[in-house]
Amino acid sequence: MIAIERAPPYLTVQDDGRRRSRAAGVPRAGAMDSFALGAANAVVGNSLSAAVLEWGLGGGSIRFEEECFFALAGAAPSATLAGAPVAPLTTIQARSGDELVINQLDSGWFLYIAFRGGLDVPVVLHSRSTYLPGKFGGFEGRLLRNGDSLRLREPLGPAPSPGFHVPANLIPAYAAGVVHVTPGPQGSLFNEHAWRSVLDNGFRISNASDRTGYRLEGTALTMTGAALASEAGCPGAIQVPGDGKLIALMADAPTVGGYPKIAVISEPDLPILAQRQPGQTVRFELITIEQSQRAARRRASELNTIRHLAESSLRRA
Amino acid sequence: MTSPGLEALSLGDSAITIRFGTEKSPALLARIQAAAATIARAKLEGVEDIVPAYLAVTVFYDTLNRNYADLAAQLLKVCESVDEKAADPAGAREHVIPTRYDGIDLESVAAATGLSTEEVITRHTARTYRVDLLGFVPGFAYMSELDESLALPRLSQPRPRVAAGSVAIAAHQTAVYPLDTPGGWHIIGTTEVVMFDPIRSEPALLRAGDTVRFERVK
Repeated sequence: MIAIERAPPYLTVQDDGRRRSRAAGVPRAGAMDSFALGAANAVVGNSLSAAVLEWGLGGGSIRFEEECFFALAGAAPSATLAGAPVAPLTTIQARSGDELVINQLDSGWFLYIAFRGGLDVPVVLHSRSTYLPGKFGGFEGRLLRNGDSLRLREPLGPAPSPGFHVPANLIPAYAAGVVHVTPGPQGSLFNEHAWRSVLDNGFRISNASDRTGYRLEGTALTMTGAALASEAGCPGAIQVPGDGKLIALMADAPTVGGYPKIAVISEPDLPILAQRQPGQTVRFELITIEQSQRAARRRASELNTIRHLAESSLRRA
Repeated sequence: MTSPGLEALSLGDSAITIRFGTEKSPALLARIQAAAATIARAKLEGVEDIVPAYLAVTVFYDTLNRNYADLAAQLLKVCESVDEKAADPAGAREHVIPTRYDGIDLESVAAATGLSTEEVITRHTARTYRVDLLGFVPGFAYMSELDESLALPRLSQPRPRVAAGSVAIAAHQTAVYPLDTPGGWHIIGTTEVVMFDPIRSEPALLRAGDTVRFERVK
């Protein structure tokens, strides 16, 4: 069991989200930073999509009520386990009774904590992720609070070896803030001037950003395209509403919408945007759909590499 | 990528939108819903989710195992063969939603339309509505063919919270709020029917293509 001692203002259970219920209007939900989800799970020997904690907006603490391997990923925290500093993307062994304290998040928005076995919450519509607006999934469909206890699932493989660390060359370039995009379904409705506005300027993440969408402040597009008949969108789609101010849809975005989508963020780069805090900037670079698919496959293969490295470090130990 | 009348467009690296036309019409919507059903029956490798809408159907797929161009070509081929008559008639259901016409906007709707509240209720219950698509929040079904005389623009200020079960109208559509959410439609009534329950075998009561009538209860 994992006990939430001091919950931060935002704390939910997430996995890789719901991918089979969009026709019923159910958003994908799931982790905002899919690399951090996969990597944290990989280093504790879980499947890449096991349920983890998604932690944001401040510090707090949890207590281990059993011996457990865990890992941190995503936002860079200053954290301690039983008083000793904890490094991210590293396999760490906690003893029963140890307290993990997250003092603060030094950079990034969402911290992930994966536990060996994965969090044991009910599967709702093929996923353990929390969808707060619908009050379902995760832990009772809500934010975790002080005093909540979470069970862990039975681990599948052999125990990982403590101290394994993800090699730096397999970690995305979060700090650069460069995000690749492919043309969206309405990309061809926008003229060259509109495209230049998107690609030649940086955009600042607005304070009015959350798991549903990030508002991007910068050069508004003078050409906005007419409102559309509603059609499907997806996390990463960049919408152009009537005021020309871009909105990037994120994990909890509605399944359909009526704003033109000029571009869509390449899925492996979505974590880079997700971890930008309000006030930080992003820059977009255009790639082809083939390049984006290759990047997605590269990311999947890198996450598998991390898993294999974690396992082989175990065999050496 | 195109074929006669159809166009395939990428929606990121794991979804393809097949556009069927540029003008909304009941016939086009029926054809798109038929295409969605046909794609589902075809069980194409790597297809994970299918979302029909007014002018297009969007297919979500596993980007690790399918190439965009191959799947787009395959989908265009499947969609070409579909006309609205191909819609599986057994797939569409008829629903009756018992409704108390006690909504907080019933009086203002009557005032704005120049009708009595009784007449608003009569006109709302007289129609059979067709489910166009689901979206906004889980289980929220946009239903069209609202009586012309009841068509009003959305509220200029959306309410921060509309209760689940609220029966509402806006423009040429009607809907039932499945969850407590913000909302800008005119609330004319309430139903006890659970529109969305994530642990039901089919969580959303309504599917695109279904028809719905509202029945007045006291």
